[in-house]
Amino acid sequence: VSTQSTWKSDRVALHKNIGLRVQWYEYQNNGAIPGVRSVSQMLSNMLYYRRFFPYYTFNLLAGVDENGEGVVFGYDAVGCTEPQKYGCSGSGNALIEPILDNQVLRQHQTKAGGEADFTMQEAVDLIKDAFTSAGERDIYTGDSVEIFVISKDGVKQENFPLKRD
Amino acid sequence: INAEYMGHKISDKVYVGLAGLATDNQTVYERIKFRSSLYKLREERDLSPKALASMISHMLYERRFGPWFTEPIIAGLDESNNPYVCAMDLLGADCIPGNFVVTGTCSESLYGCCESFWRPDLEPDELFETISQALLSALDRDCLAGWGATVVIITKDKSVTREIKCRQD
Repeated sequence: VSTQSTWKSDRVALHKNIGLRVQWYEYQNNGAIPGVRSVSQMLSNMLYYRRFFPYYTFNLLAGVDENGEGVVFGYDAVGCTEPQKYGCSGSGNALIEPILDNQVLRQHQTKAGGEADFTMQEAVDLIKDAFTSAGERDIYTGDSVEIFVISKDGVKQENFPLKRD
Repeated sequence: INAEYMGHKISDKVYVGLAGLATDNQTVYERIKFRSSLYKLREERDLSPKALASMISHMLYERRFGPWFTEPIIAGLDESNNPYVCAMDLLGADCIPGNFVVTGTCSESLYGCCESFWRPDLEPDELFETISQALLSALDRDCLAGWGATVVIITKDKSVTREIKCRQD
């Protein structure tokens, strides 16, 4: 699952292109679905291909890799990426990132015993809290959030409403 | 409370923090100290946070067309020991939300953290933990903020100042 923020026209164009390239991968590889690491590399290349007239998008690619581990790839506009445990992008980026730092890495919680291990429900609840907080303070964040829960069984989508202002 | 430099004590129950240009922070703090000392001499009582906020707001607006580049926060307990927090921009436009205020270079990150972690009616110790977690998580994400944090918890009997160590980068 990939998402982008900022400029809508570039967003739509890039999204279509990614879809086409994934389809071609399947045709050329006997219907095999590309893993998230392959798609992440491809997206990085696609973005860098336009190094001197970039897609004005800040991407986030999420998926479950071959080992069954969840992984998130955050991108800048020209394709710099790395695998991460969590990431965010968009206007509420600065608001949500430290919340995730605190709750996932737990670097400043001395009694917590290291990084957090979430169940599906805990992770979704954390995201809902984070977006509710961002929705309060960021004027562009609001109305609703589409939450995609990706597991080895597939992708479940949930629409979570936020304050409509 | 967050301030780029340490919070400055005005009285036992009122603290002010200033963010922005460091030289202006210092000058404005000197002027605030001067005015509040005068107030104390004349009125024979301490400034309430509301009065202090009003005073600072005027002081900043006096310089409307050549402002002090400082964004103060006033925090304290008023006469009935109810908490009062107020933030101002550089021209003195104040904002009294009732829950928390933030200022400084990482104010966006702080808004996110505080909005997420704060809830009403926290005990002093809980409040200290909440503030520390919010501050430390937020300033880890900002290259200009860091090198530790000072947290002051003001209660009706005492105020406790704690310095927190964090990543020294």
